[in-house]
Amino acid sequence: MDGYFFLFTGLKILVVLLFAINTAALLTWGERRQSAMIQDRIGPNRAVIFLPGMVLKVLVVLLGAAAAGALGSYGWIASKRSEPVRLDVGFTLTELAVLLGWMGVLAVRRSQRKKGEGLFFRSIPDARWVFYAGLTLHVLVVALRMNVTGDERGGFALAVFHVIGPVLAPALVAAAALFTLMSIPSGKVGIRLGGMLHALADGAKMAFKEDFIPPNADRLLHSLGPLIALFPAFVVFAVIPFGDTVCIHPDSTGHFWADLFNGRIGSMFNGSYSPYVSRYGICSEGAVPLQVANLNVGILYMFAMAGTGIIGAAIAGWSSDNKFSLLGGLRASSQMVSYEVALGLSLVGAFMTYGSVRFDDMVRWQSENAWGIFVQPLAFFLFLAASIAENKRVPFDAPEGESEIVAGYYLEYSGFKFGMFMFGEYIELAISSAVLVTVFFGGFALPFLHRDGITIELGETVYYHLALSHRLVILLGVIAFFGKTWITCWAQLFIRWTIPRFRYDQIMKLGWRFLLPCALVNIVVTGVVLLVIDGAGPALGRTLDVLADASQGIVLLLGVAAFIALGSGILAPPRRHGRAVSSSATFAEAAGGTPTSPMQA
Amino acid sequence: MAIETSKGIIGKPVPRPKRPASTQAFVPEILKGMRVTMRHFFRNTKEVALDQRPDPTMASLDEGITTVSYPEQKRPYPERFRGLHRLTLREDGSPRCVACLCCSTACPAQCIHIVPAEYPEGDKRRGYERFPDQFVIDELRCIFCGFCVEACPCDAIRMDTGQHAAPYDSRDQFIFKKNLLMAAKARDGSRKSQNPRHEPGDPTHPGVDRDHSH
Repeated sequence: MDGYFFLFTGLKILVVLLFAINTAALLTWGERRQSAMIQDRIGPNRAVIFLPGMVLKVLVVLLGAAAAGALGSYGWIASKRSEPVRLDVGFTLTELAVLLGWMGVLAVRRSQRKKGEGLFFRSIPDARWVFYAGLTLHVLVVALRMNVTGDERGGFALAVFHVIGPVLAPALVAAAALFTLMSIPSGKVGIRLGGMLHALADGAKMAFKEDFIPPNADRLLHSLGPLIALFPAFVVFAVIPFGDTVCIHPDSTGHFWADLFNGRIGSMFNGSYSPYVSRYGICSEGAVPLQVANLNVGILYMFAMAGTGIIGAAIAGWSSDNKFSLLGGLRASSQMVSYEVALGLSLVGAFMTYGSVRFDDMVRWQSENAWGIFVQPLAFFLFLAASIAENKRVPFDAPEGESEIVAGYYLEYSGFKFGMFMFGEYIELAISSAVLVTVFFGGFALPFLHRDGITIELGETVYYHLALSHRLVILLGVIAFFGKTWITCWAQLFIRWTIPRFRYDQIMKLGWRFLLPCALVNIVVTGVVLLVIDGAGPALGRTLDVLADASQGIVLLLGVAAFIALGSGILAPPRRHGRAVSSSATFAEAAGGTPTSPMQA
Repeated sequence: MAIETSKGIIGKPVPRPKRPASTQAFVPEILKGMRVTMRHFFRNTKEVALDQRPDPTMASLDEGITTVSYPEQKRPYPERFRGLHRLTLREDGSPRCVACLCCSTACPAQCIHIVPAEYPEGDKRRGYERFPDQFVIDELRCIFCGFCVEACPCDAIRMDTGQHAAPYDSRDQFIFKKNLLMAAKARDGSRKSQNPRHEPGDPTHPGVDRDHSH
């Protein structure tokens, strides 16, 4: 419990809080925009700030210069460090340069296409070719990196990673800034940020609205309700690991106050940790888990806290002095009680498989073996259904079912208190996505990426090993966790916009008569299978090892396939079937299409 | 409607919908539904982000977002679209209207109000024709039938502005006075009419009455 503990805990709380709040804000925007896109609408995008083009130009110049300078000095500083760090930084910068390169070609081609002339537009008939060429270059750079052992002097690979990448990346950033600068029109430019400003304006509006309390309501409880609903949503994030354990070796006494006195705190963040760590076992000293509180009860804390949130809804429903609110609060509490059982029991099979209730142990198990979705597929669906029901989201949103009980438990809320309910709902969504990721999608683990670097293996056979510096591995893990959480949130939004609401009796029936027995069956089957595996010889263990590594390969291939499909889908030319024959279509055709002034949707 | 009696079920039994195991399991059905929503989402997001939306008027039945994003996008109106009124002007910038009240008489919605006035003493047109001291159209009452345009003997009122009534804040703003009507332009930007006008005193003018030719 020294100064380091408080410093790092404070930093971790900051990261987690910022992530939760920003994700909730993004989800508020994303849900509305996404629903619009699903329903063939434009969605809310009217909020706009008009900036003079000059201000934007100055902003782009400053940002571009800052980014290019930061990248350049990053490469420069890395060139003074040890060879592995230098190689990793050079590799990252080279990949960044390739990325900026093909995206830049696409951007230039796009602007040329609007004019109908230009070198890229004439020589590249299909934009997808640029994407495929860029992917090939990415793969080539990776292949180049694989061939570098770190011992050789000179050579093409080292020239790329030491010189070309670190020079090209900042240069391309500067070029991109210049290109953006030229495409900004003079005169005022409307900034909409894809409709994000609309969500922001709605949030501001909510804060300034009248805070209405019904005359006969219990004033204290009415105000307490949203607080109780919001608070547990935040604190659950404390036990979720958002990255692998960082090993720090301070070149110092190891005591915070002494280091502070000697002015050595800064050196800790400047790379004075060991560039490599071993694959197994966490460092003995200076281990900083990227998790606010590494509780030994782990996920049980989450169950306890997430269940508390419903008290807010129940209190809100009771204190509002409204029958509909009361019904909504009752529905919320009974739904929570029903689904909390299935929620907890659905994960018991996972605990048995992972042999732990701690989130970081679960992630390590999944990193070494297979992701949870492969070993506990039934539990995944049960947990997903139960957690959606816990969050009171569609199709389980009977507590706020507007067609029956207007708005349910927050019917009598307005202004910021209503905003807190809504915000709490989105934070709960982010939490449930984070838990889903941690338990079923490998948390911060990426396929074949371990603490010591990339190891592509199938069972005992190691096909390829690449040592990566500790810093890069940690960074990839953190990015992977936040990225997976966002993707899961996004998928959960889709569930909301796809499925109609269940009737209340159907919800109860599903919870008690389907999810609960299924969870119990899952526990029994898991137990039997685990016993069989334990009892069987090492041959079965080896087969399972191969299967587990194969599942990691499947994940990798699926990820790559999804990325390629997304990229080529985005760049594919739009399909048009024909035009409607109507008088206005005829006139539009004569006028050369519907007249459109510039808009940023 | 099946009614159960002592003789058994009378009437036609209602067939229950078939629910095979794949439907009962719900998950495949959810995935099917999500395929549809995702297809719409990806296509629309891409088209909006890359500015590739189908033309809302020409391809209004195409897939994708074909909503007209007013006011950035405006539906092109047909050439003879009856829009807001305008009062056409003479060469000297005064209204062509001679305040004959034909339009207000023809108006089935009775939304045109004209107060005629005589030209001042010494004006060539005095005694020959009058001018509207006030010319008011309530665009909220107007049914855009175009009878006023048909009725006008002087081609003084036209509906060729190509503009529809915008949603103003109050009803007062829909009451268009003479100045506003005279300021409105035709779609080609002109405030005049294509038909030439012969003013009293012009060589081409047939004469103010039978006895006084010029």
